[in-house]
Amino acid sequence: MDVFFANAISFGVIFLFGCVGEILTEKSGHLNLGIPGIMCMGAAGGCFGVKLVAMGESPNGVLVVIMGILFAMIFAGALGAVYGFLTVSLRSNQNVTGLACTIFGVGFTSFFLNNVVLTEGVSTALSYAGLNFFNAHIPGTENLGWFGTIFLRQGVLAYLAIVIAVIAAVVLRYTKAGLNLRAVGENPATADAVGINVTGYKYTFIVAGAAIAGLGGLCYVMGYMNGIVGSTVDQTIQGIGWLSIALVIFTLWKPALAIVGSIVFGILYILSSRITGISFEQIQLLNLIPYIVTILVLIVTSILGRREMQPPASLGLSYFREDR
Amino acid sequence: MERVKEPFIHITKREPMPWWKGLCIRVGAVLIALIISAIFISASSPRGRGFFDYFASLFSGAFGTERRFWLFLQNTALLLCVALALVVAFKLKFWNLGGNGQVLMGCLACAMCMYYLGGKWSDGAVGLLMFVVSVAAGAIWAVIPAIFKAFFNTNESLFTLMMNYIAMYLVAYFIAVWYPNGTGAMPPLTDANLPTFGSGQAGRSLPVILAAVIVTAFIYCYLRFTKHGYEVSLVGESKNSARYAGINVKKVIIRTLVLSGALCGLVGFLLVGSVNHMVSTSMDGNMGFTGIMVAWLGKFNPLIMAGVSLFINFLSRGMAQVCTDFGFTSEALSDIVIGLIYFFFIGCEFFIVYKVHFNFRGRHGREAPRFSMTAEDEAEQPSSGPPLSEAPPEEGTGRAADALSTPVEGGTVCAPAPIGAEPSPAEAVKKRRRSKEEEN
Repeated sequence: MDVFFANAISFGVIFLFGCVGEILTEKSGHLNLGIPGIMCMGAAGGCFGVKLVAMGESPNGVLVVIMGILFAMIFAGALGAVYGFLTVSLRSNQNVTGLACTIFGVGFTSFFLNNVVLTEGVSTALSYAGLNFFNAHIPGTENLGWFGTIFLRQGVLAYLAIVIAVIAAVVLRYTKAGLNLRAVGENPATADAVGINVTGYKYTFIVAGAAIAGLGGLCYVMGYMNGIVGSTVDQTIQGIGWLSIALVIFTLWKPALAIVGSIVFGILYILSSRITGISFEQIQLLNLIPYIVTILVLIVTSILGRREMQPPASLGLSYFREDR
Repeated sequence: MERVKEPFIHITKREPMPWWKGLCIRVGAVLIALIISAIFISASSPRGRGFFDYFASLFSGAFGTERRFWLFLQNTALLLCVALALVVAFKLKFWNLGGNGQVLMGCLACAMCMYYLGGKWSDGAVGLLMFVVSVAAGAIWAVIPAIFKAFFNTNESLFTLMMNYIAMYLVAYFIAVWYPNGTGAMPPLTDANLPTFGSGQAGRSLPVILAAVIVTAFIYCYLRFTKHGYEVSLVGESKNSARYAGINVKKVIIRTLVLSGALCGLVGFLLVGSVNHMVSTSMDGNMGFTGIMVAWLGKFNPLIMAGVSLFINFLSRGMAQVCTDFGFTSEALSDIVIGLIYFFFIGCEFFIVYKVHFNFRGRHGREAPRFSMTAEDEAEQPSSGPPLSEAPPEEGTGRAADALSTPVEGGTVCAPAPIGAEPSPAEAVKKRRRSKEEEN
């Protein structure tokens, strides 16, 4: 049971990365449906970064982790910048641009992993020496009971996710930048009139959000899957990405709530593969649970329809200064 | 004297462009994307193929043999049907991202009929039932989000997305129940296949193509000539106006989504009954998403959409050939190229709607801004001149129009036209340029 919850957390943080990234993007007034593609890009970039430094005889563990994180953020941030350029500067429709990003990102990842990362005859597993660095445990936490198993024996990315979520929550709630960002998302024209650099805020938080979401892809491949890259990795991450976007509504655009929400989703998601003694077709039905729960949450929040449960007012609308 | 800082790039809205000019921009964007992809792919090809081989492979993949040509037409027909199904929802501003799920449910319902009744009833009776059940399944899958959207304003894009995955796992469930060998694959069923026109790929593809032609004509007429179609565009433009005009908005949303889902179900029926004779979890071929792009790039016009889906299928079938010829192992290359083309196509819309002016002189720190401001901008940036509607400026002339027609500190400001005869942005820009030249 302890192991189940530990696994749920290590899966849930994947959602947490995607969800926090999407919250930051949505707070700037942009609904980024490209998150699934961007998370895939993160996985591709992370694998690439790890491959660069982990091939030698005795790779440096810290360097492997840093390179993985760095390249995941660069790849994901690049696709986020493309999305930002198209929707902020060129004022394209956000839904359509986001879907194009998803199509591109998923395709790119599948191609890149097959042709660049997984060459040299390795088809299903990244069998590099340095893979376990992402899941290295804190020394001396082996015998601390259930608390240690669940909370102290996670990989480095899990703690990073929670740190990022807390920082995002603080920035949004207590800093001037967060206040300005919320103003941009609620009403860019007013924010512009006050002298806030609307375009700058939008770009910054779209790219930052994408980079954070990209870590989710890295976390899936290197953290949860322990470096094993299956043939359907792009499809799996795509599904996780859509759930992360849905999780934003579930957590009412609050990064702190996202920590709880993503762990709940992690439990629901891995339920089907952890319950023993059920048949193959029952597993398929258990797989439905996270999606059904998401739909129920969508319905309940829309029926309640409170003001604090609403998205930023200008979400999905492009801002052109001379439109009045 | 206060120096005015003018932005380097200034963007204005354009006059509506003649259609051929817009077409040129779009074709140019696609060509640029194709050339970029050709350069990258020919440079990274493991087999050392060249730039022009890329285009040769593209055409050979789509039109190389008779079979490929018919498959190309068949896939285009299916994609076009999905896009047409989605376009009625988009006209309503209902983001139906659930095309994949609706198609899959149509597939599943059709396969169920074939599995349980094939060989027991006559093929004609099963065929008819397959049609009805598939269309109904697709419609149900679309109408569930529609009902919640109509009554509670539930976020429809995420709702429909989640329905995709539910459909996918339901298909996986039924395959696991029917063929419990654990592979999750289903062999083609031989009973109750839809009739073909003769043998060969042409005979198999023709029913699908025929269906697509009928659906295209139907949707074109539905959106353009019927009262229903008019109500759809009215609700899409403004829900409040529609309500004011006495239209039952909830009814329109639900009715339209029934149509949208039913057409997706029809695609499922064609996919299982006529093309594959079995069902798999990836049978939708991601057409729900590609269909969105087709609908958007086709400007919601069924005839242009037909052209766009021809082009996208040309690319995806052509790219499959490029992968083989150039020695790439992953079929995903086509997604990359198509994604790149989407980016360029989406981006080029900006240059059709907006005009970009570069303010080179402002960058060199000249006093006079090249783009003097309109009255509205005046009010926003008081440093560049006297505000319009406030107390008389220091020159003492009093009225804003006078003050503005004379050169003021920091730059030239043109006289605004009288209220009610406001010039269009393009005219205003010309006018400002003229007044600038006169001054020089």
